[in-house]
Amino acid sequence: MELKRRMNGDVPMRLLLTVVMLLGAIIMIIPFIWMLTTSLKTPTEVFEYPIKWLPAHPTWDHHIKVWSGTKSFGTYYLNSLKIAIIGTVGATFISAFAAYGFSRIEFKGRNALFMVYLSMMMIPPQVLFVPKFIMFEWAGIYNTHWALILPGFFTIFGVFMIRQFFLSVPHEISESAFIDGAGHFRIFLRLILPLAKPALATLAIIDFSWQWNDYENALVFLIDEKLYTVPLGLQNFILENMIDYNGMMAAASAGIVPMILVFIIGQRFIIQGLTNSAVKG
Amino acid sequence: MRTNWMRRQRLLGYVFIGPSMLGILVFFLIPAAYSFYLMFTNYKFMSPNVDFTGLDNINRLLHDDLFYKSLKNTIIFLLAVPVSVGLGFLVAVVLNEKLYLKKLLRGLYFMPYITSGVAVAFVWMLLFQPKQGPINGLLRSIGIDHPPGWLSTTTSSMYAIDIIWVWFMLGYNMIIYLAALQEVSPELMEAAKIDGARKSQVLRKIIWPLVSPTTFLLLVTGLIMSIKTFGIIQAITQGGPGNSTTILSLYVYQNAFRYYDMGYASTISWALFVIILLITAVQWIGQKKWVHY
Repeated sequence: MELKRRMNGDVPMRLLLTVVMLLGAIIMIIPFIWMLTTSLKTPTEVFEYPIKWLPAHPTWDHHIKVWSGTKSFGTYYLNSLKIAIIGTVGATFISAFAAYGFSRIEFKGRNALFMVYLSMMMIPPQVLFVPKFIMFEWAGIYNTHWALILPGFFTIFGVFMIRQFFLSVPHEISESAFIDGAGHFRIFLRLILPLAKPALATLAIIDFSWQWNDYENALVFLIDEKLYTVPLGLQNFILENMIDYNGMMAAASAGIVPMILVFIIGQRFIIQGLTNSAVKG
Repeated sequence: MRTNWMRRQRLLGYVFIGPSMLGILVFFLIPAAYSFYLMFTNYKFMSPNVDFTGLDNINRLLHDDLFYKSLKNTIIFLLAVPVSVGLGFLVAVVLNEKLYLKKLLRGLYFMPYITSGVAVAFVWMLLFQPKQGPINGLLRSIGIDHPPGWLSTTTSSMYAIDIIWVWFMLGYNMIIYLAALQEVSPELMEAAKIDGARKSQVLRKIIWPLVSPTTFLLLVTGLIMSIKTFGIIQAITQGGPGNSTTILSLYVYQNAFRYYDMGYASTISWALFVIILLITAVQWIGQKKWVHY
């Protein structure tokens, strides 16, 4: 009797909680919805109140404006894709390589070295901007994409995250390969890397989103408009179209929609990766 | 034979960590050392003479009103961290209950964290528009005749940034709390219910202390992460109006790349480092003292 009452009582409670949480979730994503609908509205509808969630006369004009002309987002997209893809592939591979050294090869001083390595995370990027600016100019990579790609290869978080995963792979797996005469390189490439695919995918997705969203480094190291990445192009568009709110939101959509897609596809990996490196670290 | 093997292992270890170490050397250690040196010079971009000025920059910093103001702004900015950690905890606790659409809800709360760069800052800029923006439209419609000016007034701008930052960080905190809650044994929770402990008491007396290591971790990483950020602020207010949103990290950027006063910018950036060092020190000490395992 008691049990039955509790089970029946559960369903309304469950529904109520779901509805409350759903309302909260809608508040969380309202900025995105508002952005998308505004990008399809006419200028007079932007600030109408009550908010019109569906534009009366949807128009693609603002999106066309963003994607055409001499300052088309096409250029920014190609630049951002180039930087984020090369950067992500490099960062994933170099991190996995280092993580293997830090977790599966025993040598003297390894853990001390790893602590020093981790402590570099304490240095804020602001300390590094000025000297990097001077160094990059001296090396001739200032105002080129290399100024973003090369430093992007090295992510302390990435090494940390992959190392966490490698530590969880049982040692027996590589031991039997050793007995068969395989060396560290073969074990790394043939055995450990394939096992680590989910961890590598996680790092790749997170790193890609960081590189895609990176505004601060691009701001410091790029000046030529034709080299601009999406965040810089977006800022440029907004400075030049200060009162074109629909255009601004169409431009913002151009920056955000790819990340929403990446998020929907890779959500599972992202959540797992962030959780593993935080809770078990 | 044995020492030979060890030497080989060591060499192999260096080969594996080598590329990464080289990158850290070139892009972290050397620039950091260089920046430390610049702190004691009057280096300005485009000006040919660089003089060693000793402690002049540090003296200047200690008498710089704008430095203290940006320090104060930074503290207001950092208030967003405990708020978003607290909200993240509440959302995680509810999402941990029996609910419908759990995965969808979790995804929606988490979305701002992963998708938002500078682009979304511009969306907030319009949402916060004081005269016609939708947020103030809503406030007026529920009877608030004089809603805040948000990003447009010196007294409210930092708090408006805080709202954006809470919104941004909440999902991350929630995800980490959700993982931590999985580690709390279900037996313990059941036992607490049978004992007649009310839900809010279970929450306060059992769950909250049990997840305290996570709370601590989120506070520390959140503070450090936030203190390094200036992107969204540079994008929408450039520190204005009237320097009311100039936080330390942005102040470094402005001195370095707006005024090209790079020696001084380096000095401020090391002040930023000292703050991070302090937070880390508190973490080391506090972990032992305040966290219940």
